[in-house]
Amino acid sequence: MTESKDSCLICQIVSNKIPSYKIYEDDMALAVLDVNGANPGHCFVIPKNHYPIIEHVPDLELGNLFSIANKISSSIFENLKAEGTNIFVANGIPAGQTAAHFMINVIPRKENDNINLQWKPKQLSEEEISTVELKLKEQIKNVEMGSVEPTNKPGPLHEKTETSSFADDEDDYIANQLRRIP
Amino acid sequence: MAEQQQMSEEQVAELQEKIKNMSPEELKEFQKKQCIFCQIVSGKVQSRKVYEDENVLAILDINPANPGHILIMPKEHYSIMPQIPEDDIKHIFAITKSLSNASLRALEVQGSNIIVANGVAAGQRAQHFMAHLIPRKENDGVDFQVPQKTIPDKDLLEIKKILSESLGAKTEEVTEPVPRILPAPKKEVVEAEFSENNEIDEVEKPTKKRIKKDTKKKIVKPKTENKVTESKGEKSKEEIDLDDIAKVLGAK
Repeated sequence: MTESKDSCLICQIVSNKIPSYKIYEDDMALAVLDVNGANPGHCFVIPKNHYPIIEHVPDLELGNLFSIANKISSSIFENLKAEGTNIFVANGIPAGQTAAHFMINVIPRKENDNINLQWKPKQLSEEEISTVELKLKEQIKNVEMGSVEPTNKPGPLHEKTETSSFADDEDDYIANQLRRIP
Repeated sequence: MAEQQQMSEEQVAELQEKIKNMSPEELKEFQKKQCIFCQIVSGKVQSRKVYEDENVLAILDINPANPGHILIMPKEHYSIMPQIPEDDIKHIFAITKSLSNASLRALEVQGSNIIVANGVAAGQRAQHFMAHLIPRKENDGVDFQVPQKTIPDKDLLEIKKILSESLGAKTEEVTEPVPRILPAPKKEVVEAEFSENNEIDEVEKPTKKRIKKDTKKKIVKPKTENKVTESKGEKSKEEIDLDDIAKVLGAK
């Protein structure tokens, strides 16, 4: 893995060889704005360690990364007046991944912004579905299911989340949200 | 994706009036009762469960993007991700990772997408937070569009300031635009992946729009299908499949 690490663009962002707009940093993680993002405020959260795909990322680090992505998502709602956010991970080339460094994209959304993360549902026969279900369950038995022991220790961003102003915004947001869905 | 129950226009109007007058607490309670996924959690509505623990349920999507499309949700009702306690988020995505691992091994696929939509504008349909895990293969007909735009320097500077301040972690201040080492996208909108992904070794070269056409890096397409099939019977080390997938990305 070290070989690719040297040529990894993301690792060079981590080591400051490539300058970037950092919006969050701690010992293990970094979040930077994408200068060629899908929308202003599009950013990616990355582990400082070099892990090619999600399966390589230890649970504890992964949990922190998603937690940071969530805080950023909240901040995007609150501060950038986004109408929505997507959390998007591409894992493997067919999924659209092109850098060998795991990252979580956080994308601010507006109506009609030309981003499309929808899909046409595939029609599968009852038999196909059952086969898939069976195969999955069989493998799930073999895979160690990750879990992160709950801690009462606040995370690096923890205190920030429970500001009262945010809670109000959130309720408003949810209320508005519900009113928009028949 | 969730189905909304069909209602007449009168019913909709009546409901909207009712909702307007609700307190946030009442709204949440109301949402829970209406939520089809809460009914799936409680077993009132049938589903194909592939994983379940005390806090999390994972089911097969009835309108899948690909076979093996899984929805991972907290059993507790939350509409959007920012409402979910931190420990639950960590747990949900640790499970998502394990399920991704399992589906790579079970379904002869070479990748997966994880998608969360917060808000209607982001494509959220259900009133219950969930993460989508979509197994991916070459040419599987799934076509997510995440266009690249050249975000102006002044916007980047401003957003950097706003977000880093609100997140409260120490990051270096940036007062001058950061040099654009990565090539700008050719067009305002291209059907491409993210900028940072495109040019590990070819910073000077024009950005390739699609990874599939990106032959410069001599990416060796994986012959994972066979290997996965072979390894299935012998419960091989997970590293075999995963390293194949990682290798394609240039990792050794």
